[in-house]
Amino acid sequence: MLFILILLLSLIAQFFLPWWVIAPIAFILAAWMGNKPSKSFGNGFSAIFILWACMALLHTLPNENLLANRVGQVLTSSEKGMPWLLLVLLTATLGGLVAGVSALAGAYFKEAFGKRRR
Amino acid sequence: MKMFKFLVTAVLALALTWSLNHKWGAVPPLGKFLDPFQGFWKNAESKNTATENALSLAGLKGEVTVQFDDQRIPHIFAENNHDVYYTQGYLTAKDRLWQMDFQTRFASGRLAEVIGPKAIEIDRFQRRMGMGFGAENMVNTMMQDPEVAELMNAYAEGVNAYIHSLKPGDYPIEFKLLDYAPEEWTPINSAYLLKLMSATLASSSNEFYMTNILEKYGPDIVKDLFPDYPLREDPIIPNGTAWNFKKVPVPSATTTTAPTATAGIKTKEKDEVIGSNNWAVSGSKTSTGLPMLENDPHLDLTLPSIWYQVQLVTKDMNVYGVSIPGAPGVIIGFNSKVAWGVTNVGSDVLDWYKISFKDQSHKEYLYNNQWKATKPRIESIQVRGSETITDTVYYTHHGPVVYLENQKPKNFNKAENIPSGYALRWIAHDGSNDVKTFYMLNKASNYADYRKALTYYTAPAQNFVFASMDNDIAITPNGYFPLKWKEQGKFLLDGNNPNDEWHGRIPADQNPTVKNPPRGFVSSANQFSADPSYPYYLHWEFSGYERAHRINKRLTVMTKATADSMRALQNDNYSVFAENVLANLSAGVNAQTLSAAEKKAFALVSSWNKFYNATEIGASIFEIWQKQLAKEIWSDEFGDQQNLMRYPSRDRMVELLLNEPNSKWFDKVNTTQKESKNDVVTASFKFAVDSLTKAYGPQSKQWQWGTVKNTHVPHLAKIAAFGSKTLFTGGSKTSINATSESNGPSWRMIVALGKDLKAYGVYPGGESGNPGSFYYDDMVDTWADGKLNELVYLRHTKQASDRIIATWKFTKK
Repeated sequence: MLFILILLLSLIAQFFLPWWVIAPIAFILAAWMGNKPSKSFGNGFSAIFILWACMALLHTLPNENLLANRVGQVLTSSEKGMPWLLLVLLTATLGGLVAGVSALAGAYFKEAFGKRRR
Repeated sequence: MKMFKFLVTAVLALALTWSLNHKWGAVPPLGKFLDPFQGFWKNAESKNTATENALSLAGLKGEVTVQFDDQRIPHIFAENNHDVYYTQGYLTAKDRLWQMDFQTRFASGRLAEVIGPKAIEIDRFQRRMGMGFGAENMVNTMMQDPEVAELMNAYAEGVNAYIHSLKPGDYPIEFKLLDYAPEEWTPINSAYLLKLMSATLASSSNEFYMTNILEKYGPDIVKDLFPDYPLREDPIIPNGTAWNFKKVPVPSATTTTAPTATAGIKTKEKDEVIGSNNWAVSGSKTSTGLPMLENDPHLDLTLPSIWYQVQLVTKDMNVYGVSIPGAPGVIIGFNSKVAWGVTNVGSDVLDWYKISFKDQSHKEYLYNNQWKATKPRIESIQVRGSETITDTVYYTHHGPVVYLENQKPKNFNKAENIPSGYALRWIAHDGSNDVKTFYMLNKASNYADYRKALTYYTAPAQNFVFASMDNDIAITPNGYFPLKWKEQGKFLLDGNNPNDEWHGRIPADQNPTVKNPPRGFVSSANQFSADPSYPYYLHWEFSGYERAHRINKRLTVMTKATADSMRALQNDNYSVFAENVLANLSAGVNAQTLSAAEKKAFALVSSWNKFYNATEIGASIFEIWQKQLAKEIWSDEFGDQQNLMRYPSRDRMVELLLNEPNSKWFDKVNTTQKESKNDVVTASFKFAVDSLTKAYGPQSKQWQWGTVKNTHVPHLAKIAAFGSKTLFTGGSKTSINATSESNGPSWRMIVALGKDLKAYGVYPGGESGNPGSFYYDDMVDTWADGKLNELVYLRHTKQASDRIIATWKFTKK
């Protein structure tokens, strides 16, 4: 559930709001409905990993990876660059990490404050 | 413990998010940049772009239809002037917004605002050169002309309509990489871009080196080695053309000696950065019986393309050609009745005046032996991530004192040829209405319209070639040419002496011009505008005559010329320079001193066909050989690192080689023995073989000229991955196809006038400025192969063409 909600809410929010909105979304949702911290991390990470990977593929495939290949060269400062798929994975991992760590913080928040108040 | 875990992870989450939203040096904010919703992925364009689109835009007055052809070039059909320029602005911004922003920032000295402290010196330089002063004067002049004001404003409105439609995710990728946002466009930005053309084409200056040479060697040697007219020339206005006007009086020369230059600047061999050609051939020599016109303006090549192709159609205009991204109208192009093109005129429109300040406050300076007040101009340069810098520039009535004594930055090559303590008088500072010239040419229908249009043009001076359906051809080196005494500005000038100032201008209708000459064609290749019978002084030196001579020779023998014969000529790699000296140099090599490898190379180069084709190895050897030879001959006398000088021209070196074999200049003054001509010719030949061997191994295919030359098109901000690959092409400075490493034909165009007009063109890039678009560099290979695309010239909105791939409708909101 946490996984689906982070994914869906981020998908909608990201059309209007800056990329970092994934952090508060993952945090708040995990603080509200998260369970074990490690599981929350996993849910947050995989939700955004999948969302970002899919979005990146949606843009790069019709582009025949033209831009991804160029950006790979920019980021590695080398003519060889990196395979475009690696850049998709890197993108997805970075987004996943931000959401994962935020969800983790949310889960710990719940552990620290949630039970006592409930 | 739980509290602790929460705090640690919360801090970690915040830190991670923050650091991925922060720009670290040259590294963009990675989270923001990689975000597939609004980051760079969004700039990846699909191969299939929208075929139908309807937009309603505030500010439009009527309806506009835009047809896009298969290279995404827009053909704009509007009901009125305002809407056509509005839409030109809108679509240019859509394709080239970052380029427009970045070049404006570069011209106006505002790069540091977005790239930080490393751009401070270049910003300071642009401002001290008076770019802002010039652009302000220009926009003031333009805005006083209601017609021009309308199109400048309409264009800006269109650009802004596009900018306002953008969300950060829609910004061009370079904004995301450099992490900044586009800002509102104003007409002064267009003025900056036009002034940038002057900075590129009309800002070279040698007076400082020449003054040092005069001091060291005296007037006789200057006269001998740096003459006021070359020994070999083929001027734009054919020799013997009569001047049908009454010359206005020119004051006599100042006889006192020129002021002395200050030392401390590194010398640099003047590089010929321009290699543009244009010509028009009369119907008597073409297959169609009507004129054909060619133009290939050469510039430092960049991606996104320097030019933006567009067709603009209203009730009283139907023009096609290339525009400057950021300025309204078409600069080089054609309509159904006329075609025109431009190459640069190397006239002297920039001079330096020695200023004597009263004291260190720089408030007053001496003019005509009286104290006159300076006007300080405060420039404030905002710097990203650092404090704003203020810089005071003192303006005299001549112009700004670019660097006061001891103010010039060291190791900043743009400032190398600028004398400290001198005021700059430069045509680019004057208010001007050059846009009007192009606006009138866009609507011109005959020779009279062309002549009228040219009177509004100031700078950078251009050779305007022209052809019309009335079977008229013409060429006019045109612009504001200051009225000067002979050699005025060849050396540094005295800011105190009124006789050293410009004495007004050569009357516009007395600029050199020729219409329908008997030879049946007109042409230019940056050479001298006219022979010495022209009664005014324009400059003592222009680009070498070799390209022009080759063009004229080929056009002379051409009959029934077709567009394809023009195309072959614009790609001609033959070198008249090599023709002049190769046999002479080969005869000068001491064959018995050569090694086996050198003998092999020598056999090859001495039988070389003098074409700088990509596959020629002889071209590679000859090119390095002659370059080194110039160095061997001149560097000992003119390479002084204290008192900066420059070498004599290529023309003078040719004369030395052919007709003065015993000249003292061959001897190296810093050695004890006496070197002969053959000694330096041999030594420089060996140098050429040696350096090719070092770089490419023993003689092989690797020595081919196309490999050695290494032509490529770099990205405007030098982002390597956004530049072109290496292109295997021919060409040289002394060939019509004057393509060098990253300088060359920025646009090639051929127009065959006629009821069924045919036009062809290509630039080394594409219509889009987005490196994530298939239209970013789709023309590069065509360009490198020396081929052209047929241009789609639509006569009316509904004209069917299988090359049209999309139609957009714009309506008012």
